[in-house]
Amino acid sequence: MKKASLSAVVLVSANAMFAAAPLPAETFPAYADSDICARLMLGPITESRVSCSQSTVKDGANPVLIRLQNNLVLDVNKQKMIQKLVGQFLLATGEVKAKNGTMKLAEVSPIQAKDIPAGDPARKLMDARTYKSDAKLHEKIRHELAMMPYISEFDFISFSMMGSDVILSGWTVRDTNRSEAYNRVKDIEGVTSIVNNIDVLPLGINDNQIRAGARAQLQQSLSRYFWGSGSDIKIVVKNGDIILLGTVSTKADSDIAFIKCNSVRGAFHVFNLLRVNPGKAAEKLERSGSKTHV
Amino acid sequence: MSKRVLNFNFKRASVVVVVLLVTMAGCSRASRPTVKKIPANAEFSGFFKSYTNLKPVEGMDGALGYAATDAQKNLHKYIACVIDPVEVYLASNADDAKLTDTARSAATEYFRAALVKAVSSAYPVVDQAGPLVLRLRPALVGVDFGGEADTVNIGKVRVEMELVDSVTGEQIAALVDKQSLGGEADIGSGNPAQQEKWAAAREAFDGWAGRVRDFLNASNELSAEDADKADKAYQPYGESAVAAR
Repeated sequence: MKKASLSAVVLVSANAMFAAAPLPAETFPAYADSDICARLMLGPITESRVSCSQSTVKDGANPVLIRLQNNLVLDVNKQKMIQKLVGQFLLATGEVKAKNGTMKLAEVSPIQAKDIPAGDPARKLMDARTYKSDAKLHEKIRHELAMMPYISEFDFISFSMMGSDVILSGWTVRDTNRSEAYNRVKDIEGVTSIVNNIDVLPLGINDNQIRAGARAQLQQSLSRYFWGSGSDIKIVVKNGDIILLGTVSTKADSDIAFIKCNSVRGAFHVFNLLRVNPGKAAEKLERSGSKTHV
Repeated sequence: MSKRVLNFNFKRASVVVVVLLVTMAGCSRASRPTVKKIPANAEFSGFFKSYTNLKPVEGMDGALGYAATDAQKNLHKYIACVIDPVEVYLASNADDAKLTDTARSAATEYFRAALVKAVSSAYPVVDQAGPLVLRLRPALVGVDFGGEADTVNIGKVRVEMELVDSVTGEQIAALVDKQSLGGEADIGSGNPAQQEKWAAAREAFDGWAGRVRDFLNASNELSAEDADKADKAYQPYGESAVAAR
């Protein structure tokens, strides 16, 4: 009996030791962003970027950290610690799980951009020149991602390039799309590194009801944007929030989409990031507002 | 006084236990699956409501399939699935009394697990039916019995599988896979010499599950027209997208 108890104690202690083995804490410069802007607007921190970060967090989007050195988006365990710092640079300390894109925050302190030394790789995100890319390589990547077979109206995978370094971002309901996108891009000649910021969305029944409701509403009013296996309008649903992405022909269609999604039962906020006439208005954030569902 | 209370409680407890046992026995009997058989001389088991849409699947020997092409109801419109327990249809001339629970559950549970593994990266497997969720209904058809007592032989088994809308029950895709993968595989024997045959059976189940996934992959391939639309529609967001244009 004694032996058994002793073995149990040893086993439990060993288990606890392994389970609690902490990752080494790291300190690095970061930008406090919103989940939405971080996964769509990877680019220099401009006024419009800061405005996007702050307004979307105010409307209910989750605050996240972007590790400036490599553009890695990190979901943090203590969102309150960075909530008020969204739109600012800061020095973050904690345990990073790069593979999962998560961080256990220990400490944050605001810094100024000028505090980051000139040659530091962390300055990359602030320099617009970094984002120039080879048009041919960009097109190859775009085409590969466009042809993925399991992409639905509820997935949106985006990417940015810093020379030959690729940052994958966006949201998907299928885990396999995250790895498929990575593998497709990895195999393209000329790509040197990939940071995978694609977020895998939970498939809760409430979010699925919102997805189905939003698609039904949009198909009813804007059917010309939908076809057999996909659509021009992407409906990303995360924890009750709807993010509208893609391209429509007119501002009126964008407004209709926003209004229709606002009437979807169970949805908390609608973030309208639809683009109108891509040649002219690309990357312009067209937020029409938000709503709280009662 | 306390002794009387104790006696009274003991009696009540006994009654409750008896009622519980009777209920449990009733439940377990009710949950025992019924034995189904392929109707004599029938081409299909009758597991699907309709087999009329089935056509030979290109690139898959011995497979008949169907995938809805309706713009509103097709495989692309679903993002997850629930997988039902595997049903068993015995061969027409098989003696149903020979089917033991052990052999049945070994076959059906292994095959279901193989299906979960094969399908989940395409359609994540969830517990609840609902909107955007498919229901995968699988069946092992033509199960017979081995030479050894209490063993199930899957040498002539084929797989019938359909994906239906989990809310309406409407058929979205179906596959009848007549590919014979079972060989001499036997299930349910405790004889160590039969372990090889059980390994062969596992391989067959993995093979059928893999072919279900192949069928889903083929059905999810974009048509030339849709590929063109998807290519034109897809524009990434982000700073470098502007720089590249």
